[in-house]
Amino acid sequence: MAATRRLQKELGDIRNSGLKSFRDIQVDETNILTWQGLIVPDNPPYNKGAFKIEINFPAEYPFKPPKINFKTKIYHPNIDEKGQVCLPIISAENWKPATKTEQVIQALVALVNEPEPEHPLRGDLAEEYLKDKKKFAKNAEDYTKKHSEKRPAD
Amino acid sequence: MEESMTTSQGGESDMECSDNEFYDYYNSNDDIDIEQIDPRNIDPEYFEYNCLLEEQVDRLLNETVETLSNNLQIPPSLAKVLLHSNQWNINEVTKKFNDNSTQTLIAARIEPDAPPSSLLLTRLSSYVYCSVCATLQHFENFHNLSCAHMFCNECWTMHFEVQINQGISTGIACMARDCIVLAPEDFVLKHLQRPNMREKYQQFSFQDYVKSHPFLRFCPGPNCSIVVHSKDIKAKRATCNQCKTIFCFKCGCDYHAPTDCHVIKKWLTKCADDSETANYISAHTKDCPKCHICIEKNGGCNHMQCYNCKHDFCWMCLGDWKSHGSEYYECSRYRENPNIAHESVHAQAREALKKYLHYYERWENHSKSLKLEEQTLEKLRSRINQNVMSGLGTWIDWQYLFTAANLLAKCRYTLQYTYPYAYYMEGGSRKELFEYQQAQLEAEIENLSWKIERAETTNRGDLENQMDIAEKRRTTLLKDFLDE
Repeated sequence: MAATRRLQKELGDIRNSGLKSFRDIQVDETNILTWQGLIVPDNPPYNKGAFKIEINFPAEYPFKPPKINFKTKIYHPNIDEKGQVCLPIISAENWKPATKTEQVIQALVALVNEPEPEHPLRGDLAEEYLKDKKKFAKNAEDYTKKHSEKRPAD
Repeated sequence: MEESMTTSQGGESDMECSDNEFYDYYNSNDDIDIEQIDPRNIDPEYFEYNCLLEEQVDRLLNETVETLSNNLQIPPSLAKVLLHSNQWNINEVTKKFNDNSTQTLIAARIEPDAPPSSLLLTRLSSYVYCSVCATLQHFENFHNLSCAHMFCNECWTMHFEVQINQGISTGIACMARDCIVLAPEDFVLKHLQRPNMREKYQQFSFQDYVKSHPFLRFCPGPNCSIVVHSKDIKAKRATCNQCKTIFCFKCGCDYHAPTDCHVIKKWLTKCADDSETANYISAHTKDCPKCHICIEKNGGCNHMQCYNCKHDFCWMCLGDWKSHGSEYYECSRYRENPNIAHESVHAQAREALKKYLHYYERWENHSKSLKLEEQTLEKLRSRINQNVMSGLGTWIDWQYLFTAANLLAKCRYTLQYTYPYAYYMEGGSRKELFEYQQAQLEAEIENLSWKIERAETTNRGDLENQMDIAEKRRTTLLKDFLDE
């Protein structure tokens, strides 16, 4: 199957690339269509922790895009309470079969580091982000400290 | 079917209506040879269009494609993409292409905006790596669009099938990230083997082509595949020659003169939003204003006569019918409260609702009357049958009654659509005049409706006179809209 071969190749490439912002990639040997990993952002206020995500690839991958879900709660205008994230690169209209998962993850990390309040999933947080950045930074930092995963040692 | 059939309205052409006021109906029936008259003068709603079958549309599109392909010396499939992205305006595309061919091809997403990188074109060996399925294959198994992004044939096929299953056809792009070059028809079909996929693709792209073509409109009738063609892109009445659906050529919704396309959309959305209030209005019964017996409206006519006390009254305003006979018939006009600006927000909201309900009730009432009058027509048919059987004239003798019923439906339909128009019209002398004319047509068609429902006791000349007046009033109401 095209999906399996391609995902095995991608998984190998990502593991070898030594990506700092996405680590601890766990894939069940019996099901390569589901990946778990840890997003490690660089920018404050999210650099106080790490965030677990799950990537689900459809059987038609790479002709249909993967779906990403946050398993760790995060205070972010583009990620809702259910962990859903709005990422244009993996929307059905924009998806390109040649797009690599590594590129998707890079886009995701960039979004976590730099929120895009223009197209929010959580309007309340976007408003706070735009109107009172200090308050937003404070709330997001407190929230990160309380709910996020531990950052890897190195 | 070799030739397309030219269809136009105004079947009932014995009711002429000239723009010239002095050219009146007393001599209009006399010595005029109807065939020599420009149909536009007989029927102000005349609209020239063709009802085309799928094959005919295909031929029409292909002729344009072929002409452009010859003019510009480009393959037909590219000519098709060019036309599709330029509203099928062949003159404009030709001009653009002659001015700047590169830019035109980039804008239509036929060529990439940056020249393909030479790196992509060099091959190290006869084997190429497909980045989509992650396999190494012989280069003969690879294809690319003008952007030079190479992928193996199996991946192209999968890509196309997945896209087509999502309803995408003319908009399928290259598989490379950030590349927006479109796959033209011949490239897609070359990679599709399964007959049902090819059929789906052709069906979807046909729909895209028709939708992007300003002179073509799909008939909105259920399961109807007719495409209406006209070079006159106006909000005029088109009638499908297959399913008989009547619609506005410009927007494809129900014909709505004298209301504009965007106004009728606004109105219909509003009506849908306010459906709860509408439910309250749609009660079918009212009490007789005199003896208070409950009366159900079972005909289209608004002139009611109480079964019990024989009181004549108007269904809409419950006023005495006598006051409706004169030209002071004003129950179609909404009287705004002149002091509304000084009232409370609450009162203003109530006033706004009152205003809306006024127009809505009349809109809805005509719609219902139209349905009820279909039943009247049925009854009329059986009564005429009886008459004919018992030797009272022939079918032809009674035809004028059907003509009258058709005219009544036409007038009611127009009248129905004058209410959304009046609702959104700004106050002032124009609105006053419009509502005056509207009131006049209301009065005339109620007379007409009354006379048709009591056909046997109405004199034929009387009825025909009434018909003529009603059609004149209707044309007056439509004049501004049709002259635009």
